[in-house]
Amino acid sequence: MTFRQARWDEPLIWERPSSDDDPHPIGDIPGIPASLRRKQPLDWPEISELEVVRHYTRLSQMNFGIDTSAYPLGSCTMKYNPKVHETLARRRHATDIHPSQPVESLQGELELLWRLERALTRITGMTEVSVQAAAGAHGEFAALLMIRAHLQERGELGRRTEVILPDTAHGTNPASAAMAGFQTREIPSKDGCVDPEALRAAVSDRTAAFMLTNPNTAGLFEPDIAEIDEIVHGAGGLLYYDGANLNAILGVTSPGRMGFDVAHLNLHKTFSTPHGGGGPGAGALAAGDTLAPYLPVPRIVKRGRKFALDYDRPKSIGKIKFAFGNFGLDLRAYAFILAHGEDGLRHIAHRSVLNANYLGKRLGTVLPRPFRPLVKHEFLLSGSPLKERGVRTLDLAKRLLDEGIHAPTIYFPSLVDEALMIEFPETESRAELDRFVEAFTRCVRDTPENLHGAPHSLSVRRVDEVRAAREPILSRKDLQAAAKLEAAPPDAPRP
Amino acid sequence: MPRWIPSGAQEESQLLKELDLPNTEALFADVPKKLRVGRLGIGAGHSEPEVVAAVDKILDRNRPLSKFASFLGGRIAVRYVPAAVDAVISRSEFYTSYTPYQPEASQGMLQSLFEFQSLWVELSGMDVANASLYDGATAIGEAALLCKRLHEGERFLIPASLPWEEKSVLSNYLAGSGARIEEVPFESRTGRLDLSALRAAIARPGVFGMLADLPNGFGVVDEGLPELKSVLGEIPLAISADPLALTVLEPPGSWGADVVVGEGQPFGIPPAGGGPLLGLFACRKEHVRLSPGRIVGLTQDTEGRRAFALTLQTREQHIRRSRATSNICTNESLLALAFVTYATLVGPRGLAELQRSLAERARTLATALGGIPGLEAPRFDAPYLSEFTIGVKQGTATEFLDRLRRRKVLGGVPLADPRPGAPAPPGQWLLTSVHELTSEKDIQKFARAARAALPRGVAA
Repeated sequence: MTFRQARWDEPLIWERPSSDDDPHPIGDIPGIPASLRRKQPLDWPEISELEVVRHYTRLSQMNFGIDTSAYPLGSCTMKYNPKVHETLARRRHATDIHPSQPVESLQGELELLWRLERALTRITGMTEVSVQAAAGAHGEFAALLMIRAHLQERGELGRRTEVILPDTAHGTNPASAAMAGFQTREIPSKDGCVDPEALRAAVSDRTAAFMLTNPNTAGLFEPDIAEIDEIVHGAGGLLYYDGANLNAILGVTSPGRMGFDVAHLNLHKTFSTPHGGGGPGAGALAAGDTLAPYLPVPRIVKRGRKFALDYDRPKSIGKIKFAFGNFGLDLRAYAFILAHGEDGLRHIAHRSVLNANYLGKRLGTVLPRPFRPLVKHEFLLSGSPLKERGVRTLDLAKRLLDEGIHAPTIYFPSLVDEALMIEFPETESRAELDRFVEAFTRCVRDTPENLHGAPHSLSVRRVDEVRAAREPILSRKDLQAAAKLEAAPPDAPRP
Repeated sequence: MPRWIPSGAQEESQLLKELDLPNTEALFADVPKKLRVGRLGIGAGHSEPEVVAAVDKILDRNRPLSKFASFLGGRIAVRYVPAAVDAVISRSEFYTSYTPYQPEASQGMLQSLFEFQSLWVELSGMDVANASLYDGATAIGEAALLCKRLHEGERFLIPASLPWEEKSVLSNYLAGSGARIEEVPFESRTGRLDLSALRAAIARPGVFGMLADLPNGFGVVDEGLPELKSVLGEIPLAISADPLALTVLEPPGSWGADVVVGEGQPFGIPPAGGGPLLGLFACRKEHVRLSPGRIVGLTQDTEGRRAFALTLQTREQHIRRSRATSNICTNESLLALAFVTYATLVGPRGLAELQRSLAERARTLATALGGIPGLEAPRFDAPYLSEFTIGVKQGTATEFLDRLRRRKVLGGVPLADPRPGAPAPPGQWLLTSVHELTSEKDIQKFARAARAALPRGVAA
């Protein structure tokens, strides 16, 4: 299939001719002293609605989305975002409501959140769920604060200062642990999985928690999970589940069954809420008996036939976000669970794992595959043989864009040289998988010249990211300063 | 069940055959039997019309704001969202796209975010803005952590008037750093920061930063804020500001703020039961490498064409891991697009005009409520814009609001922390706000309901 992206020379919004450049000083604002008033009115263009719509529509045409392109992004679970969810999230009864309304007039929101939390409790096999977190990393941070509060209560916070992670962990794990005040300690993997001996050697009475993704970022189900449970809990630590890869085990196993004390889920991965170009997402926190009392307030409770907000949780860490959570996204996730039901959720796990194994088998003949062949939702390839031809994994990723396919996750996890991490969720058909195999093979076999020059068919060619970091131009203000510098005569003093 | 998974057992059995596997169960041979779960107990699947009916049935138990004379607001404002905003963010190339880590495939979103950053730079008067954080409350948390990197100390000063939700989120953001928050009291008459108390607080060493908000949690526009930096000296100053207020007020960057954050929801995002929201963050250029979150930069492609990319990523978790400036990954990009689309559709003139008309309307409301015995409206003698605090002389704000609700009036947001044993602000105060559709009739309805709602003897 050939693909040509739109290529508009679309100006920045303020470079469009303004229809009204007359000065419009800020006049009197009732009650506000003149000393506080803006001296210069906002420097932003006055343009018509059509121009605004045309500007952003043109920009949208220079952007990949799931609706136009497959996204084989490992650990990102880029599945189809059902259209009916967009319709439902825009109902007046879902948008024209305020979190500070009296709960009697907010029964629908509370019921929906309560039902979603109950469903997620069952899916995760945990005791209680809160959907207050805005995203996965936000949930991680909150969970680590819960662990902190729990250790404090046990009188062990001063001593248990260390969070252990495998070297395959998502970057958010160590970052969240550090933000919650813990030191992090990475242990080396063995054959892509946790090495129980390394873990045994790492745990001590300083261990606060061990964070794990299972299946992990190599796409492998951790075979020693029962032993890991025993080692961590035996040392008095807590077991944390990163739910980024939950898609592969829906209805098959669960964090609760595997012995985890707390888990975060990414509703924008497993439960299909749209990624929005980087957000908003929605995070859920699932806690077992030990940590449930520390979940953020308010908790949504059912009293008789009514739903209420419960703030009387003395052990709670308090709030992690302004209101109850990302309700618009929670609503989509609830509708997704409702549509699939129990069997449908299990089918998601089956089909996503089937897709990954089929694709892994076929692409394993094109590039080397590290570790054992049976994977869950994703698998790794190594682009290292390309180096003989002077080609890097990055070139391959850029060349794939020319095929109208998004690049896989690259250079992660770091234990594989020139890594490519590939996940095709359950919503992609065999035809799409086969198309990807053909395109991928074509790209691998392409000439170094074409690979280095890629992409060729997008709105821009290879973007100079080094320059972006070396001479940061981060706003219109920087752009104006740079233009001034350029316009200045050569002998003018430079700042 | 809907057809979101490619249908057909035949396709799956063919794929299994290619793998030489007898059934899908064989795909899970590596998951030990003792870890398997049985029935989840979440019921059977549903068709699309059934899902729509079920979700609508639940949503119908909400009473939307339009069914009331509503004066709710605060950090989450009620503002009209032009249809064109939703049209833009409904372009599926935007809303179904991933984080723009591959810049060549994402120029549309990257340019939009660059425009968004430029707009918050313009509104805040700062040098650099990021591409968004989760919400205004978490942005305050990140602002405090930036201050901590800039200055020694373990105490972070905040106004006692700050909404309790923001205090709670902030104390969580600081929990791991060993720092603590310390409240600076407000002047009882004006609701403004008590500057003599502030001077006393900073006279003791160990303050690494301070937050002030504009308007503050009582709706007060504190005239003392532009002088704050001269009081604080070297101590970093973070400001949390309402973007609409900044269309008419002198930007905090011009009076010395080191970080300016805010809640972006009032620009093009419906209240939607509290989320998603939009965290705004801007700082000085010299501190950008210590700042949190994704940032879009302008650069060029190999042919010299203008292009955009995420930049300064060595601050971020996926590169720097435990030494990242923040753990944030997913942010609120699509809402940043809504923010810049909204501001451009309304335009600078329209925004200032909107703020002016809201300020006028709030004054009309204050006049209508002002004469009612048993109420202090406004409670504070200070400038305000779209919202102000009401004091109830008998009973609690919550009881008063309950009685108003029975008359189809949502009078405001109670200011007290609802957690048992929580400290001030007192339970007698509520924050009341106006919006574009607040009519003279609504205001009269509020005044009538308030007279009727007050306990006998007080209103008489």
